[in-house]
Amino acid sequence: MNNYKSFEVKDWLEDLRFRDWVYHGKDDAYWLNVLRDNPLQAANMEQAREILLAVKGNQDFISEAEVKLQVGEIMQAIPDENERRILYWWNGNWLRVAAVFLLMTGFATIFYKQKNITARFGNAAKSAFNDSETLTWTEIENKTTQIKLVNLPDGSSVILKKNARLRYPKHFTKEKREVELAGEAFFEVVKNPEQPFLVYAGNMVTKVKGTSFSIRANDEDDEVKLVVKTGIVEVSANDTGKKENGAEVKKLVLKPNEQVTFNRKNQTMIAKTVTTPVLLDLPVENQDFEFKRTPLADVFASLEKTYGLDIRYDKLAIAKCTITARLGDEPVSEKLDMICTVVNAKYETRNGVILVSSPGCE
Amino acid sequence: MKHSERLPEAYLTTRWQQFCRGDKTAFGEITEHNYAALYHYGTRFTPDRDMIKDCLQDLFLELWEKKESLSYISAIKPYLFQSLRNNLIHRIRRQSVFSEIKGDDPFDDISPESDWIVNETDQLTATRLKKAIDSLPRRQKEALYLKYYENLSYDEIASVMGLQRQAVANYLQYGIQKLRDYLQHVTIFLALFFSMG
Repeated sequence: MNNYKSFEVKDWLEDLRFRDWVYHGKDDAYWLNVLRDNPLQAANMEQAREILLAVKGNQDFISEAEVKLQVGEIMQAIPDENERRILYWWNGNWLRVAAVFLLMTGFATIFYKQKNITARFGNAAKSAFNDSETLTWTEIENKTTQIKLVNLPDGSSVILKKNARLRYPKHFTKEKREVELAGEAFFEVVKNPEQPFLVYAGNMVTKVKGTSFSIRANDEDDEVKLVVKTGIVEVSANDTGKKENGAEVKKLVLKPNEQVTFNRKNQTMIAKTVTTPVLLDLPVENQDFEFKRTPLADVFASLEKTYGLDIRYDKLAIAKCTITARLGDEPVSEKLDMICTVVNAKYETRNGVILVSSPGCE
Repeated sequence: MKHSERLPEAYLTTRWQQFCRGDKTAFGEITEHNYAALYHYGTRFTPDRDMIKDCLQDLFLELWEKKESLSYISAIKPYLFQSLRNNLIHRIRRQSVFSEIKGDDPFDDISPESDWIVNETDQLTATRLKKAIDSLPRRQKEALYLKYYENLSYDEIASVMGLQRQAVANYLQYGIQKLRDYLQHVTIFLALFFSMG
């Protein structure tokens, strides 16, 4: 038994068991006894109690049912364990990868001042000046009416829509991966927290902190819009329109279903919550690669359509191969790796054509 | 008051480590165990209940996404409180800044005085207690809440609120003194004890 007789108000306040009684009504009988045995402490106890209640303040009643409901919503929003189990053997890959959906429309050509466009994609020209390789930028412009797939040096992939242009260095620096975009594009970025992925577009800089999101910008109305699908995305205003150090002025971290409207003229950002994070009319944007005993040929067809790929394979050899998996935001190369691992196949890329060789499935 | 039921610390730590390794059930348990306490803490900052719930959803989803990198955390509750606090303040600031409702420090104007009404005792006492707590600056109120209602240590409060330990000690000392002065003239007591049940 504590020596309550010599207690002062502050001692009562510090007494955890006393607080449990005041706040949660615990050990009621015990405390009524204490009160009876220590009548001189009644005033101290009462003052301590009032202080504690004042500290607690008004509290909403939040029922257990309400908590369960909220927790249920959270649990529903996270990936299902069963689906992940199917992907068990490639989980390693899966986790390293995050996709970024960047859909951008009509930007000023401010970033295209540099004209030293050299190596085209896939050109293995060896530079004698290794240092200058990071300074050598590649520009790809999709002049076709189809979508065009671009593979970046880090394994990330980008789908360019008609008239979209993408600039990227031959080698990314160790600190960050920087690309410049004009037009509409869909990005799938390899996750690497040590080396953030930055997209410069108009006066807005988009930085990927991890996982996936969607972006859209409209040149016509001076506004850039961005909506997060999942995960976290950081957006900032690039004051001068140049990517010089310290140029960023405002930063905004966006989370799922949050949309920001960036006004390019007065550099303001207005955030709000939206119901659907879908933005542009690319098939891949809203695509869920969910396969359940799907014939391999159909899976390839789906990839071909989505990414504008040309995949060649022996129809007879893979006739019995099926895929059960849910693919997400991985770059296209990771998707192909996963699929080929499952059916024990191999693939190589030649002149933009993907050649798949498979021993077949029984 | 489910959240106040103290599960053994070792159990919670184990569950946390399981969650970090991808155990969804452990994650659900952690979420449920902390939800109400975090929600109530959130009401200290904004009257917007939906915003608090949104923030909590984001917080836990983010937690799940970066679970692999969270195994170093030993003080779970302070970590969660700190995360919620940062998220809420960030959101509240952003709302006010970007909707051009500018104050020098919008955050200092957030806590609505009406939120501190004590509803457990009769109206007269409630008013008196509310007046007492309202006489304190917001941070003092917050430090007191974390210390006495949430049983956090000085160091934990310091990390949650981003303060030096000494600043926390000062807040608590002045806060209590002020409340005591305010309530000094208390003369009624016994009846209140029996009304608690």
